[in-house]
Amino acid sequence: MRGSIVSLRRVFSIMLTIWMSCFLGHIRKPSSCLRLLFRSQLHLRPGFTLSILNSSMSNRQDEGLSAFARRMHASGTNLEQHTPNSIFSRIPGSEIPQHKIKHSAKVTVVGVGNVGMACAQTMLSAGLLNELALVDVLEDRLQGELLDLQHSAAFLPRVKIVADTDYGVSADSDICIVTAGARQREGESRIDLLDRNVNLFKKIIPELVRHSPDTILLIVSNPVDILAYVSWKLSGLPPNRVIGSGTNLDSSRLRSLLADKFEVSALNVHGYIIGEHGDNSVPLWSSLSVANVPVLNFHDKKGVQYNKETLEEFHKAVVKSAYEVIRLKGYTSWAIGFSVASIVKSLLRDQMHVHPVSVLANSFYGIDYDVFLSLPAQLGSAGVLGIANLPITEDEAQRLQNSAKILRGMLDKSKMQ
Amino acid sequence: MEASATTFFSCSLRSSATDRGRSLCFPQLKSSSKHLFSPSGRVSFSRPRNVLAVSADHHEPDGAKPMFTTIPGSDLPYHVKTSSKITVVGVGNVGMACAQTCVTEGLVDELALVDIQADKLRGEMLDLQHAAAFLPRVNIMADSDYAVSEGSDICIVTAGARQREGESRLSLLGRNLSLFKSIIPQLVRYSPDTILLIVSNPVDILTYLSWKISGFPPNRVIGTGTNLDSSRLRFLIADKFDVNAHNVHGYMVGEHGDSSVPLWSTLTIANMPVLSICDKDGVKYSRESLQELHKMVVGGAYEVIKLKGYTSWAIGYSTASLVKSLLRDQRRIHPVSVLAKGFYGIDKDVYLSLPSQLGRAGVLGVASVQMIEEERRKLHESSETIWDIQNQLQI
Repeated sequence: MRGSIVSLRRVFSIMLTIWMSCFLGHIRKPSSCLRLLFRSQLHLRPGFTLSILNSSMSNRQDEGLSAFARRMHASGTNLEQHTPNSIFSRIPGSEIPQHKIKHSAKVTVVGVGNVGMACAQTMLSAGLLNELALVDVLEDRLQGELLDLQHSAAFLPRVKIVADTDYGVSADSDICIVTAGARQREGESRIDLLDRNVNLFKKIIPELVRHSPDTILLIVSNPVDILAYVSWKLSGLPPNRVIGSGTNLDSSRLRSLLADKFEVSALNVHGYIIGEHGDNSVPLWSSLSVANVPVLNFHDKKGVQYNKETLEEFHKAVVKSAYEVIRLKGYTSWAIGFSVASIVKSLLRDQMHVHPVSVLANSFYGIDYDVFLSLPAQLGSAGVLGIANLPITEDEAQRLQNSAKILRGMLDKSKMQ
Repeated sequence: MEASATTFFSCSLRSSATDRGRSLCFPQLKSSSKHLFSPSGRVSFSRPRNVLAVSADHHEPDGAKPMFTTIPGSDLPYHVKTSSKITVVGVGNVGMACAQTCVTEGLVDELALVDIQADKLRGEMLDLQHAAAFLPRVNIMADSDYAVSEGSDICIVTAGARQREGESRLSLLGRNLSLFKSIIPQLVRYSPDTILLIVSNPVDILTYLSWKISGFPPNRVIGTGTNLDSSRLRFLIADKFDVNAHNVHGYMVGEHGDSSVPLWSTLTIANMPVLSICDKDGVKYSRESLQELHKMVVGGAYEVIKLKGYTSWAIGYSTASLVKSLLRDQRRIHPVSVLAKGFYGIDKDVYLSLPSQLGRAGVLGVASVQMIEEERRKLHESSETIWDIQNQLQI
């Protein structure tokens, strides 16, 4: 193969130059220079699997391709057979086969509707991913979204984006985000969606886990707490690796409403909404603070006094806000996209950041049965690292218990036991 | 004027020759400098607050300590405008993708959304506002009244009928002409110093129309043009050669559409011309295969529209990259739709995409890329195509 014979003399002369520069004090770390030098020579990661021009696909077994993938490949022009090009000189070891390279930071998004694509696009913009896989049943829509994202390549860091109706494309994902499912119709509560979605999950979850046994499942579809429980049961994964997006977004909405009222940045409002992601969520007023000033005076400190009823109005507004956006534009997308991206960042980059997300609540806050609901959970690469022991008042604890009871009731009634 | 050997960028669309004597590398365009300070001294922060979805009483109960103790001087009006504001007209898929990407990349402090559909508009505004905790603070407002766009640094127009499946961009034209006659004067009225960035298709003709209606100097009216086409081409080439798309440099110029011109002669990877790489590698390429690639780029948009009904993400990123170059004075070169008269031998009043340097004042100059005869000829054909249509519609 052309270029594969490395000129030893050249390598030595390079190393000599670097060591000489080192002695002359120009370069402190010769090893990193070498790494830089070699990296620039390395054969860069193979291109997008399903790209139209890609001829490296000729190595793949045809049987492994779904009809969808075959259709993607059988297209258009071909600038003749791809040969090693003269832009780069190869060095030994650079021809590592594709499947042996561990792609760090691979995320699969199941469902390419508005929510799924908002999540995908926000994660891409945030530069969190090395590889993104999209899975859906609608082939045309899936292919269209894949192309639209690929066309953005020149504006983004290089990400390998693949799409298929076959879950094989999701193999070895670090995180699998499930947004698939019927969405809330106008006026429909999240619980009404339940049965429609449980059946769908029975098809989705086992496939995901089969191809990525070490993955973390992040459930977004509504009703998120129940579907997170369902996913946990169907996947057989340990509970720290099944998370629902939960009240991460509700808390964000509350914080932005309060931030607007107090004319501060939303980043300076600290507080959680926990419990069910829906009508029975529990705002933790006792630990809500703005610029570290507690909003409710609960500990006899010289704080700022606020009317509790006023604050409950904010909570009601948060609960209604999703319904309002759905009523006005038909669906919600941008906010949930940002919320999911923030969770993914904490997971992929081991941020140890506390998010109010839907986790297995058994043995926390006085809940002693299996149910998923949102609690302040610390997230890192291993998934849920722990639950914060936030002091909460009697009243809040009671509301949390109610939330849990209602969710458990739903579960008992549903097909999922 | 044509590029002399010493001029890197042709002097742009100025009629005044006062600055020809200055640095030839980057001719400064005096009359293109914007008013950086609002002449009326209006405070840029005293805008109507976003409507809260809450009817509760906002005032603190009497006797309670306020959240913050103010210090003297903090309530005086500011005369220096330091925040950046953009307006997006049209909150369809393209408009919202542009808005969301600009907000995500932290390019704007204020965002105004304008559309005629009140419900959809309010819904989109709320959806973005709900993300506040994940973003730096952006003041997002929305109204069907253009007054909300006052004082914008850039006005992005995405409004208009969108291409149906199989419909060419030019056939959209009639539907969009009258729409622009109602949009542009309003934008100009409330932001006389703004830069107009037109996205709606057919972008070249609509940009020309916007220029005519607005009465702006031509450097402040830009169309997104072939910025995205060039990106698609670079992606295809990059994928073929297994390199990062950022290392592929090249432009598509001319009409944003079927008669666009890929400049193959100056398409490079790592500063090596792509065609000579193909030669060296023995990779056969023919005129036909290059034309196929071009068709694929042009057809890329149609294909996405056929598959998912519209394009959004790619044009969102493309527009955000232009907004960044403009707002942050990046002096970066993008192939965007500019007034082409006087460049590359074009003598007609048409807007088409040329490699242009963008900065805070808008279009600063047009790069004099070496074109071979065939490319220059195709560029002229492209300009003829646009000119014909403009004449037919008697713009």
